Amino acid sequence: MRDVPHHVACVMDGNGRWAAQRSLPRTAGHQAAEAAVIDVIEAAHTAGVGWLSLYAFSTENWRRPAAEVDVLLWLVRRAIRKHALTLHTRGIRCRFLGGADPRIPPPLARDIDDLMTLTRDNRRMTLTVAFDHGGRRDIVEAARSLIRDGVPPEQVTEESFARHLPHPDMPEVDLVIRTSGEQRISNFMLWQVAYAEWVFPPVLWPDFRAEHFWECLDVYRRRDRRFGGVQVPTATGKGSS
Amino acid sequence: MSDAAPTGIDDGTTPADPADPLSPGSMLHRLSHQARWGLVATRAIVLEAAHPQIGAALITNSTFVAHPWRRLRNTVLSAQRMVDPDERVRRREAARLNRLHARITGTDAEGRPFNAADPEARAWVVATLFESTVTMCRLSGESLDGPALDRLYAEFRAFLALMDPDGGRLPPTLREFWRYYELMIEERLENTEAVRVILDRLFAQVPAPPLLRDSPAAWAAGRALAGPVATAITVASLPESLRARLGLPELPGTRTLIHTAYLSTRLATRLLPEAWTRLDTIMGMLDPTYSRREGGDALAGLRRGAAKAGALLRLLTPAPQAGAADDSTLRSAARFFSEVLDQTGDGYLDWPDLAAMAREIATRLDLDARDEDRLFTAFADWWRELRKELDTDGDGRVTGQEYAAAAAAMTSSALIRVAEVLFDVTDVDDDQVIDAGEYRALFRAAFDHDAGGGDERLTRAEFVRRFLNFMAGRLHSDAYDRLFAQS
Repeated sequence: MRDVPHHVACVMDGNGRWAAQRSLPRTAGHQAAEAAVIDVIEAAHTAGVGWLSLYAFSTENWRRPAAEVDVLLWLVRRAIRKHALTLHTRGIRCRFLGGADPRIPPPLARDIDDLMTLTRDNRRMTLTVAFDHGGRRDIVEAARSLIRDGVPPEQVTEESFARHLPHPDMPEVDLVIRTSGEQRISNFMLWQVAYAEWVFPPVLWPDFRAEHFWECLDVYRRRDRRFGGVQVPTATGKGSS
Repeated sequence: MSDAAPTGIDDGTTPADPADPLSPGSMLHRLSHQARWGLVATRAIVLEAAHPQIGAALITNSTFVAHPWRRLRNTVLSAQRMVDPDERVRRREAARLNRLHARITGTDAEGRPFNAADPEARAWVVATLFESTVTMCRLSGESLDGPALDRLYAEFRAFLALMDPDGGRLPPTLREFWRYYELMIEERLENTEAVRVILDRLFAQVPAPPLLRDSPAAWAAGRALAGPVATAITVASLPESLRARLGLPELPGTRTLIHTAYLSTRLATRLLPEAWTRLDTIMGMLDPTYSRREGGDALAGLRRGAAKAGALLRLLTPAPQAGAADDSTLRSAARFFSEVLDQTGDGYLDWPDLAAMAREIATRLDLDARDEDRLFTAFADWWRELRKELDTDGDGRVTGQEYAAAAAAMTSSALIRVAEVLFDVTDVDDDQVIDAGEYRALFRAAFDHDAGGGDERLTRAEFVRRFLNFMAGRLHSDAYDRLFAQS
């Protein structure tokens, strides 16, 4: 049996379809997604996952109808305010990946900032919300940062490059869960998912619950991770006896 | 318990320097860095306000109701400079205070002239601070013995002598002081408007300190509970003879309340780590920009805690309804009038309002006499021009309506002159640009807020442009809001 993955990431897909199946506006799907988010955070926390990353809103999502974007942003703000204290008391450190876009309304930016400030010293679990995030953009930004720092080409290694990514202390993703059966990467944390295991449960995100999460962890445990090699030596600490 | 004493005001271990009563070993020096000095200052201001001259000066010129935090901060800073180990700093500060007070003159509502630099009034201010310190010690169960009292009194007299080369008007001995004090209460003090404003309005309406400014609802709720308690404590701590003269009733239970309050400050001062009960720490928590100048890391942990507390409070405060225009860059003429121009909060724009702005700038930049004069002259010229153009009913002051009707005409030659003088006095090294250090001295903030990236320098033209934009175009500016609008 394998250990619990250290870093789990979720691509929260299927809100729109969930709403369409019920003849509701797309925004109703986003609204229903909140319960799933809270359930997954609780489940990951209980399971002992150290890092949980959620893909909430991509840079591409700005292209959606303005009304939908507005509702989505308002929902995020409401969720932050509603759950800030619970997250904090659970010892969860909250971070946001991306989120520097000027289109983000100042009150939301303020709340994001406050949530990070409030929880920055927590260590039980780190919740990274990829908000207004684009994996390629992060890589481009890291490249710019390298050039600005005048790092000579021969000194650019995978490790030194990774130190220029946002939140360089974030470990590589071990498991990505993408709901609704879609099997795409969608520009999500491209650098960090390089060796991740992917599972694609068919359930739509608003219906995703703790038991689905446990199933995904189970799938992960049964997989044989190779990291591109033939076999992972147990000495890395990943294996079990 | 012998190790608990060093945080008190008299640890009996540091000998006073007989030649220099205000040396770093002095009781006053220690006291002025303790947070409970805030209690002393608040109580003393009621006693000061009951003096007709001081009361009149406070009510017509002071910004303490509209901007109490700024006022408190300046008072604290000034008191600390007055007991600075370096005697030159003390003399410079005393001279600055004298200039500042000499500018505050006028006549009260009954036509009696007042002058903030009046030696008798100034002696009373120091007397109230001394008596409030003694009272604080007594109420917190830390009674000072005869020699300690004598020493403290000598220190306060030295404090006064710094401002008053003639030695001041405080009696030479403590015995005579108490007679003087009783006599003042019985014959000189009055139930002035300033006393009523402090007791009725200050605690009930005190605006949020900078830390909680974004949580107005939470602040208002806390203030509704704490305001009356603070008033009751202050009233109950006043001398009984004065309470009788002012007709202030003693509410049942306040005796216990007051002892509890003072005792807890004493215990806090004795038992908590010294860094926590330092005035700088408390001020730093209330106003995150305050202690940045210190640059020390000792407070970093506390500030971190305060930042977290502030964040939590903001997150728990109900958010304003969607659609509220809280991010607009333009503000209405009425808001600009009340937030920026009307410094004294009396609803009118008058010379004391502009003088308060000049005073704030002069205090922040610690200007010498020459620069201070230039600044006040520029502001006075601006005031004359404003009055000529805006005071349509000729009553000598500008109302909110008069201002709103002609606000667009605010960009005047006199205002440009104010901007240029402000640039000159801020540009300490005369290199014709405001660099990061100079910017920080004026705005108490890092450069980036308005600069929008770019170089950390402001040319004269850019500086003047921004100042005029703020004053005339009524554009929001974090930097200028911190300077003029926020308490």
